[in-house]
Amino acid sequence: MVTLTIDGVEVTVERGASILEAAQKAGVRIPTLCHDKRLVPYGACRLCIVEVTSRGRTRTMPACFNPAREGMEVATHTPKLAESRRMQLMLLLRSHPLLCPSCDAGGNCRLQDLVHEYEVPELPFTRESRYYHVENESHFIRFNMNLCVRCGMCVRICDEVQGENELSFIKRGMECEVSTDFGRPLQCELCGQCAQICPVGAIASKWLVGTARAFEVNRVNTVCSFCSLGCVLTVAERKKKIVAVSSPADSHNEGNLCVKGRYGWPYAYSEQRLKKPLIRKDGSLQEVEWNEALSFVAEQLMAIKGSSGPGSLAALGSERLTNEEAYVFNRFARTVMETPHLDHAGGYGYRALVDGLGSALGFPASTNSITEIREADVILLLAADLTETHPVAKNEAIMATSRHKGELIVIDAVKTKLTGRRGTHLMCKPGTEHFVAFAMIKEIIDKELFDRKALDLRADGLDELVASLAPYDPDAVGALTGVDADTIRQAAEKFARASRAAILLTDGMNRPAQNVLLARAAANLAVITGQVGKESGGVFVFGEKANAQGAIDMGLAPDLLPGFRRLADEEGRARFEKAWGGPLPQEPGMNAAGILEAAEKGAVRGIYVVGENPLETYPNRGQVERALGSLQFLVAQDLFLTSTARLAHAVLPVASFMEKNGTVTSAERMIQRLKPVWKSVEHKSDLEIFTALAAMMGKPAMTYPGPERVMDEIASLVDVYKGVSYDRIGDRGIQWPCVDTDDPGKRRLYEGGFPAGKARLQPAPTFQASPNQGGPFYLTPSSLKFHSGSISQFSFSLLEVVAGAVAEMNRSDMKAVGLVDGDRVRITDSFGASIAVRAKGSRRAPAGVVIVPQHFSEAKLNTLTRWDDPAPRVRVEKV
Amino acid sequence: MEERDALLKKKVEPVVEAIPAEKLEQLDDILCRYEGKPGYLIPALKDAQELVGYLPQQVQGRVADMLGVTSSHVYGVVTFYSFFTITPRGRHTIRLCLGTACYVKGAKDILENITREVGITVGETSSDGRFTLEAVRCLGACGLAPVLLVGADTHGNIVPKDTVSILEGYQ
Repeated sequence: MVTLTIDGVEVTVERGASILEAAQKAGVRIPTLCHDKRLVPYGACRLCIVEVTSRGRTRTMPACFNPAREGMEVATHTPKLAESRRMQLMLLLRSHPLLCPSCDAGGNCRLQDLVHEYEVPELPFTRESRYYHVENESHFIRFNMNLCVRCGMCVRICDEVQGENELSFIKRGMECEVSTDFGRPLQCELCGQCAQICPVGAIASKWLVGTARAFEVNRVNTVCSFCSLGCVLTVAERKKKIVAVSSPADSHNEGNLCVKGRYGWPYAYSEQRLKKPLIRKDGSLQEVEWNEALSFVAEQLMAIKGSSGPGSLAALGSERLTNEEAYVFNRFARTVMETPHLDHAGGYGYRALVDGLGSALGFPASTNSITEIREADVILLLAADLTETHPVAKNEAIMATSRHKGELIVIDAVKTKLTGRRGTHLMCKPGTEHFVAFAMIKEIIDKELFDRKALDLRADGLDELVASLAPYDPDAVGALTGVDADTIRQAAEKFARASRAAILLTDGMNRPAQNVLLARAAANLAVITGQVGKESGGVFVFGEKANAQGAIDMGLAPDLLPGFRRLADEEGRARFEKAWGGPLPQEPGMNAAGILEAAEKGAVRGIYVVGENPLETYPNRGQVERALGSLQFLVAQDLFLTSTARLAHAVLPVASFMEKNGTVTSAERMIQRLKPVWKSVEHKSDLEIFTALAAMMGKPAMTYPGPERVMDEIASLVDVYKGVSYDRIGDRGIQWPCVDTDDPGKRRLYEGGFPAGKARLQPAPTFQASPNQGGPFYLTPSSLKFHSGSISQFSFSLLEVVAGAVAEMNRSDMKAVGLVDGDRVRITDSFGASIAVRAKGSRRAPAGVVIVPQHFSEAKLNTLTRWDDPAPRVRVEKV
Repeated sequence: MEERDALLKKKVEPVVEAIPAEKLEQLDDILCRYEGKPGYLIPALKDAQELVGYLPQQVQGRVADMLGVTSSHVYGVVTFYSFFTITPRGRHTIRLCLGTACYVKGAKDILENITREVGITVGETSSDGRFTLEAVRCLGACGLAPVLLVGADTHGNIVPKDTVSILEGYQ
């Protein structure tokens, strides 16, 4: 620690901190134009120069990259410094066009602010006319390099944080500007980080053009609804249109956003939004008033319950519900519909957390906070293509491998952007990733690369694990998975010897059969090597949608109650029976797959689907279609007339994330407030619908004046939410477990040991190859960074970038099948089901693998996916 | 807004010119040595330029792929160093020194002679593809002033009227 004085304020900072950081801590503002805390200091703008007196000498130096030293006396605002900064600004203005009235950044421009602050009185220098490139062809982002001040922040964030390096300084000296090669339009992730970080208007969002000035918009801080990372959004809205989305620099995501978070919002004001409830009359869906629709739903549900018993009803929730809605839906399903059959996310999409991490460690949640990942020495990516699924978490891997010199171990069947970074890529056959991970565990145990005494103290089940690992010899696993056995051994050793190692995997419906096995392998690895409960270690499981964690916390599962209480747990059940005023089933109900199977057989007659589109997203489309088609009554509660809604007997239009209040819990257990950007008069929130239906179905006790009261009830019943209230969540969010009103929440789980005393190592699954039939290709369902679930199909902005499903194939395979880019292919599985899509050559796909994105209705990819097969074998033919 | 942009618009037009297939194969053979080594960008570009003569978009793209860097990064390096060129050059590059010593000793006359005889001025390539003329600030051979370089050959102590006869040696 070093102590120094800045403008008379004494401040103590860590050794290595810059003078600028020390000043920020001391509450002294130093002007900057090229500095951002996410980036390596650069020292280009020379505005942060300060006078430093040390050992009797006074010198001026830039504050951003000079370290604070013991005993320094720093002056930041002397007349000499002000004059110097004024001169810098006058030199910058020499070539910066003074078109401020027509510039999109007007009113939101750091250069403009500084010129104003330093009262630049005149422009004494001859103006220089520059004609640099202006580029309007890219999606979302426009470039006008005439406005550029060459701070380099766009180039640096693109390289250092995003790992894209799409922008570069080109030419040199006076002609220097920022561009892609030959000024072509962007072909990158389109995250828009360059546009957000640009201090002037040189790189800006196209949406701003002609829509609003910075001071005319209404800004609301809320949470992104696409993936489960819970990035904070600042939505700038004008006349019910979103003109800009940014993220506050002090948020837990540090102001980083991906393309969906920044540009994926137009679905909220899409023309296709449902405006009125629909009910099926004479065979077709017709618009009705809310009262009629709600009483129709209540009557029908009551009728089925009365005639065939509550067990013939089922409820499917969603990872897109807020915590409050998920909680109330749970109560609604179990005490009003009185059914034990409640599930969400296809029934398997979230089991990695519950049956993997939950069973092994105690809590079904990621152990650490996301920003710790960047400090890890080794990051194991278990079939996690973060670039496509969770782009902001990918930035952590980028920073870990560049700035922090960490290494990646990627176990994946396809090439991803991260496989090109520092580290090893264990390229295996699709669907065998977990075998490789378990082989690594065996190697670590066999070679004694861990502390056995420490492990005995913190975990049970080692003997069972060792016994189950017997067949997992690296050579045998190598032969089955296609990974070189020595590479597995080296990866195991590298992982075991790392002082800080994190494991990342993703959870979702593209890999239903394998999620749990991967999570068990991850939990075992972390426990054995002692990486749980320490900084920059742990296991992360990133869910697919915004409230993936909250849906589990609120018990939207056949065997869970809110707060991870099992239904079989006497005390937990009694607590909720008392609060909810009704008996609860003792036995777990059916999961989503079971519900659909039962519906097909006629045992389930009515399903209430909220915020999900099973027909598009659940595996085995044929079965889903038959099941939903044979129902007596289907309610779909959604924003759009989805394909599931088209089959429904009642469709209830709901408020979107832009229109409702509530909280969501991110993958790092961060509970955050969702705030309405505008109010909708046509749509009701899910919460309003549930309480209205409960009253109509004879349970008027289930009323809540608003989501805040629901959270109070959750806090009184769920242990890890005990200290949570809307006041405490505030703008910053709070990470559970938060056990009382003074608890600030926890960045890391298990720092003080496991809740059950010890962790439970999970035995390995049977080691065998999946039956090898159905065709020469593996089908790998994938996610795209430009889309999310099936909802992003309603955002014109995202469709503009990727409009439909295209199968990615290796070029050699394309040649063998006789294809050229853009040809249509028919992909057929062993059951004879098939889909037709266009194909293109791709470097991502190794030979023998076809990658098809899962988001698009017209491709019907889930025709080919199966509940129990992570990588179906298929035939590919030219159409 | 758009009108303003149009006014300020000045686009970099990529040079599109077919490169023979065998050249590309040779290029790949050369670039193989640098595969996956981003630190060798400048040597790789130098080799590529020696083979192809210049560095069009296609060649830069190959270099980027082979070394594992982005094409924007390659373009940034290519445009930074005056040694690299993205437009085709003549068979021989004349680098005429216009530094102080050479200038005093008559480099200006040499330049005029070249412009009159070959028909090109600084930065241009003759229409028959024979010469490209570049002006440099100093070649570090002021004792031989005035100096010009044709390809790798240095010619010193030139009398301006001899310019043409020197160039005749390069066809």
